[in-house]
Amino acid sequence: MSTRSIHHLAAAMATLLLLIGPSALAADPGITDTEITIGLFAPMSGPLAAFGLDPLQAAKMWYEETNKKGGIHGRKIKVVVEDDKCNPNEVVAVVKKLVTVDKTFFVHGGSCTAATVAAQEFVTREKIPHVMLNASGDSAVIPPTRYVFGAFGGTQRTVGATIAEFAIKELKGKRVALIAHDDEYGTANVSTIRAVAARLGAEVVAAEMISPRITDVTAPLLNIRAANPDVIVSTVYPGPAVLVAQKYAEYGMTKIPLAQAVQGIPVPAAFAKNVGNDAALANFYYGSPLNDLTDGPKQQKWLALYKQYYPDRTPSAFMTYGLPSAMAVTRALEKAGRDVTRESFIDALETLDFDSEVVAGPIAFAKDRRDAHRASIFVKFDGKTHTLMPGVYFWNGKDGL
Amino acid sequence: MVPVVLQGIVSGIVTGCVYALIALSLVIIYKSSDVINFAGGEMVMVGGYLGMFALLWLDLPYVFIFPFAALVIFIVGALFDRVVLTGVVSRSVPGHSVLVAMIIATVGLSYVLKGIVRIIPYTEEVRRLPPISAGAPIFLGPVVMQHQDIAIVVAALGIMGALWAFFNFTMIGKALRATSQNPRAAALVGIPVRRMSMTAWGIAAALAGIAGILLAPKLLLTPDTGAIVILALAAAIIGGFVSLPGCVAGGVMLGIVQNLIGLYVSSRAISLAPFLVIMIVLLVRPQGLFAGNVRAKKV
Repeated sequence: MSTRSIHHLAAAMATLLLLIGPSALAADPGITDTEITIGLFAPMSGPLAAFGLDPLQAAKMWYEETNKKGGIHGRKIKVVVEDDKCNPNEVVAVVKKLVTVDKTFFVHGGSCTAATVAAQEFVTREKIPHVMLNASGDSAVIPPTRYVFGAFGGTQRTVGATIAEFAIKELKGKRVALIAHDDEYGTANVSTIRAVAARLGAEVVAAEMISPRITDVTAPLLNIRAANPDVIVSTVYPGPAVLVAQKYAEYGMTKIPLAQAVQGIPVPAAFAKNVGNDAALANFYYGSPLNDLTDGPKQQKWLALYKQYYPDRTPSAFMTYGLPSAMAVTRALEKAGRDVTRESFIDALETLDFDSEVVAGPIAFAKDRRDAHRASIFVKFDGKTHTLMPGVYFWNGKDGL
Repeated sequence: MVPVVLQGIVSGIVTGCVYALIALSLVIIYKSSDVINFAGGEMVMVGGYLGMFALLWLDLPYVFIFPFAALVIFIVGALFDRVVLTGVVSRSVPGHSVLVAMIIATVGLSYVLKGIVRIIPYTEEVRRLPPISAGAPIFLGPVVMQHQDIAIVVAALGIMGALWAFFNFTMIGKALRATSQNPRAAALVGIPVRRMSMTAWGIAAALAGIAGILLAPKLLLTPDTGAIVILALAAAIIGGFVSLPGCVAGGVMLGIVQNLIGLYVSSRAISLAPFLVIMIVLLVRPQGLFAGNVRAKKV
């Protein structure tokens, strides 16, 4: 290359730098003197809409409440809402649109982990903060990445660790039998339960991994019965959870306590109706990330607020799960100050540690932690009466990693 | 260990009876139109929801929900054949296989049925029909059986028997068999072939719908219940896909094999059982266990 060409190239690069310079130095998009624009998304149609619609409306409600109180540092929150249908392709398209077309400051959304993680590469590359709405799968937040925060309902490691600790400490289990799914959720559950059992000196005598589409749970339940456990822990989804409870009663195992994780029993009354056998629930417990029963006194103020905003809608059991993430957003914006940038917003998120008054235990992040919530409570349920069990159980952030 | 195995076998027979009913539905359609009905599972699911609708909203007693659901889903199946498949066949291009288009049409039907069910708010949660027959479990030695299980086996056997009688002793049944064996010859002797095809689709759909009602108290209902069609396909393949008794045996065999694999290998392997069985059958006896021997054909 000649000297002349080098001079031309240098001049062209200088011109280019002058052109892009001002925009590079400008404030992040989505923020003005009076407004912060947030891209909010969740499944609002399709088969998984039940997981997202009410949590999204709850988050919107929280932002509107914040605006009523004067906003954050004089700025009102504006949301641009999109439907991701819990589909990975839709999630990526929606996030790209919210960032590049709607010029939002950051994105807040996702109710299904498998779909939500699809946006991780884009937000990381573009350095866009992504606060997940109520998606809680481990793969989105473990190992931690700088721009993605989530698991406000607890990861599957939290689910596994807390139910194992409850089964061993409260239900006096020394010989623990597990039944979980053979997918990412189940694998995380089982590895954590095994780790907790080892730490607490209990033995895992059976670990049955089943397909979420199983049609007959005879063999897994017979295997569990043959292992002679003194407590059974189930982390399966709603359909298989009903089959497990039915067979557990059918094979005369009801003297052994059965503890079911939250994902199998989103609506306890519907679960009891589907099981259709009171004997199956004589020694039955379920876990919950909330700080109370779904209609308990501590949840009433959220239910009342929701009713005020959406008088014609009966909220699903997932409604309040949308609140903690919105609370984390407003607290971090508050903490980051008037001169907030995307990076300082992330720094502020990393320092959060607060009681949401929605879930049990604190919502907290750290430099090396992106899963917000690590606690569960447990409830004894006989099909009609819910009795809160004492204590809150925590994942220590190490078991099962 | 023997009681455990017996329990696994008995439970496998019950589940296998439901697979067999769905497999029968698939085979009837295959024999009548050479098409594998990929909407078979969704017909099962719709049957279950129709049963629930009749039971909870129309307040019909259990004995009436079977004919109600069977009739509605019969109409769906017959109309699909008359409107969609006839249209697909009439627009087929010479030289291109119309079967591919027909099979894709069944995939389309599966999405339509699932979509329709999903827009009903009641289907957001897992649902279960009340047991057809309730009561204390029955102990046969070390084996436990629910009244519901016995009801499923009795109903499935009754339907299979009725189907056998229908195909062997009624004019329509014989006409259906004639049409499936040689449609051109059947038309020559005055059998209305198009109407027979509609009837076959209607009967197969009704059968799937009844299987859905039998299934709903046992395996629960969601709009994704139709995924069970994979197991029915395995049962039909074991039976040779053209043999009605074969797919009954295939269904029961599959139910038992699933449980034995779960007991002796791993619960994780249960979902692999149908594919394993299909592969073994295709390797050892490609025509299925109950089809005749493969013969070289003079062309």
